[in-house]
Amino acid sequence: MVGLLAQAGEAARLDTPEVEWTALAPVLVMIGGAVLLMVVAALAPRGSRVGWHAIVTIAVAVAAIATVVPQWNRVGDDGPFSVVAGSVGVDRFSLFLTVVICASVVIATLFTDGYLRREGLEGAEPYVLMLLSASGGLIMASANDLIVMFLGLEILSIAVYVLAGMHLRRVRSGEAAIKYFVLGAFSSAFFLYGVAMVYGATGSTNLVEVADFLARNTLADSGLLVAGFALLLVGFGFKVAAVPFHSWTPDVYQGSPTPIVSYMASGVKAAGFAGLLRVFVVTFGDYRLDWQPIVYWVAVLSLLVGAVLAVVQTDVKRAMAYSSINHAGFILMGVQAASDRGVSAALFYLAAYTFMVAGTFGVLTVVGRRGDGHHQLSDYAGLGRREPLLALALVVFLLAQAGTPLTSGFLAKFYVIDAAIESRSFWLALVAMLSAVISAFLYLRIILAMYGSSDDAETADGAAATAGPRLRVPAAAGIALVIAVVATIGIGLVPDPLSETARDATPELVASGD
Amino acid sequence: MAQYLPVVTLLALAVLFAALSFVASRLLAPRNPTAAKSAPYECGIVPSREPPERFPVRFYLVAMIFIVFDIEIIFLYPYAVISGELGAFGLVEMIVFVVAVFASFVFLIANGALDWGPSRRLRRVDPRVSAERTTATTVRRVGLDGREEAA
Amino acid sequence: MLLNQFLILSAVLFAIGVYGVIARRNGVAVLMSIELILNAVNINLVAFSAMTGTLAGQVFALFVIAIAAAEVGVGLAIVLVIYRNRRSIDLDEVDLMRG
Repeated sequence: MVGLLAQAGEAARLDTPEVEWTALAPVLVMIGGAVLLMVVAALAPRGSRVGWHAIVTIAVAVAAIATVVPQWNRVGDDGPFSVVAGSVGVDRFSLFLTVVICASVVIATLFTDGYLRREGLEGAEPYVLMLLSASGGLIMASANDLIVMFLGLEILSIAVYVLAGMHLRRVRSGEAAIKYFVLGAFSSAFFLYGVAMVYGATGSTNLVEVADFLARNTLADSGLLVAGFALLLVGFGFKVAAVPFHSWTPDVYQGSPTPIVSYMASGVKAAGFAGLLRVFVVTFGDYRLDWQPIVYWVAVLSLLVGAVLAVVQTDVKRAMAYSSINHAGFILMGVQAASDRGVSAALFYLAAYTFMVAGTFGVLTVVGRRGDGHHQLSDYAGLGRREPLLALALVVFLLAQAGTPLTSGFLAKFYVIDAAIESRSFWLALVAMLSAVISAFLYLRIILAMYGSSDDAETADGAAATAGPRLRVPAAAGIALVIAVVATIGIGLVPDPLSETARDATPELVASGD
Repeated sequence: MAQYLPVVTLLALAVLFAALSFVASRLLAPRNPTAAKSAPYECGIVPSREPPERFPVRFYLVAMIFIVFDIEIIFLYPYAVISGELGAFGLVEMIVFVVAVFASFVFLIANGALDWGPSRRLRRVDPRVSAERTTATTVRRVGLDGREEAA
Repeated sequence: MLLNQFLILSAVLFAIGVYGVIARRNGVAVLMSIELILNAVNINLVAFSAMTGTLAGQVFALFVIAIAAAEVGVGLAIVLVIYRNRRSIDLDEVDLMRG
């Protein structure tokens, strides 16, 4: 018996991959922080209403951002590298998106704190889920293997399904959760089928090997591969809310708790585009003639449908959902260009959009009042007079979304249109400008409602008197709004640091060293 | 093939017996159904609405705990097969994995997923009743509702 | 060739699952349909793994099984919340928001 054990001990060692823990630091910090927070909060006595959950969450997200800095320098010195047997890549693209996703977590957490107090919900679960979901996003941004990409996608999504249904007593929250869940799981299954197709066509799930295989061999029958492209595109299309895979977006955005929507529209979207850019632009770059036309039409439809349907809504939250579809169309233009300039334009757009959309939904959270139900356009009447600062913040975010000069939105739109023109997609650029004009109507409508004429204001003040007491802006939400406003205007006035960073952050695939 | 003959015979007999029982009861039993007989409770009172279905959520939570360990086994089994070859690396990876799974288990326990019996909230409702059950407290719990002022 | 049979089986299961998600109204039946799609993919993965002689497909199938379990756990929880709030798991009735 002893001899047998000894023999087993001496059995041929498998090649075990070297795990470089420091390179995985952002993901490890996020997951470790989430698990610790979950356990500690479960063991701690309930009912303490101090906001320490939120403080811990923010500390974890900021720590994850802090671990990015040394790696950014390391990639600058030694070039990008891959870890865990080539399944996770560390390049400036993944680091850039790590910062974007963590920033969206910080802002959404600040809004969530006030929201939970107002609605009388308690517990650390929303924060734990948000951290876990964001760690899934980080995994997607750095995945160098389709298996890892799928795992990241699922970690990201499953946590957000629960977050959408977080408000147990609101029927609409449950409805949003089930709709998001069914369509999200459906799209993940499509994505998975696509992965299986690509695996069958190339014999590997590692993106480096897939790209190598496609560069070296010409497939006699590329049917399997193209089917894989289409299915993968469906999966990503759902996650980033692009037409025709957008049908869940308005309902889910309208029904979910508003601070969660601010995370969905910024963090989840950034992660979805991270996967889309890495898989399509980098890995399948040689086959761009096969997928570019599809992305082209998806972008056109997203731009037009998002803009037109946003304008006809009367519910502001729902209108913002359509506007986010419109923005997804803009970012898809960067994907469609399939060039370095397109990628950096998409990254710039994602970073700028994160702050403006998170801020917008933050204002919506506050205006929604207790019950999260006051999102009609009429609820915004006279807001400029009653809450001048809050209204001013919303004006900044809306103008940025419309693409007004001196805000971050203008340059974001400018860069993607520039990338589209560089790749000679003139019609797409034209459609984009048209859709920007159409969606500007929506933003102006909300602004006009807030600073309406005096007749309207009187009735609006009457309505406000019946609607209840003054809006209370929680301190945490105030801080988040200030951050978002400063970022939106700051990027607009001094865009160079961000645009140069985005230019450096090109995605690269690196084979494992061993 | 011959050694399976008893099994096949038994199987055929079992099927035959079951089928015969059904057919016989269908043929021999008297039947004159009435509406009152097919009602859920035959006690003379026509139910005014569907009886409320009990929806035991507790079993659902237990099923969730089962899933936690179910998933754990999927990854533990392949590891167990080649644990020797994997050496220290495999051990470290597995510890990381098991700690993460265990954390979810701690969360479940702390949230009362395994607390059977009356739920904690119900036990805490009435401050007049002490936690220990004596005959006195049980009588008070059952019978003194609303009689406090009168007494 | 043997591979085609697996691919056809998987495609048929996938199609049945897609039909179930679109056509069934019962929330739990929709969850089962999603499971069906995921298992169709598993057949695909294992078949490709056998064809190409690489192990990645089989490893992936294990992960898919784990994720399917997690997904259904969350899905059932959400269906439960819906049931508690409205005493029904008919998904066609879950439609307050339109516009």
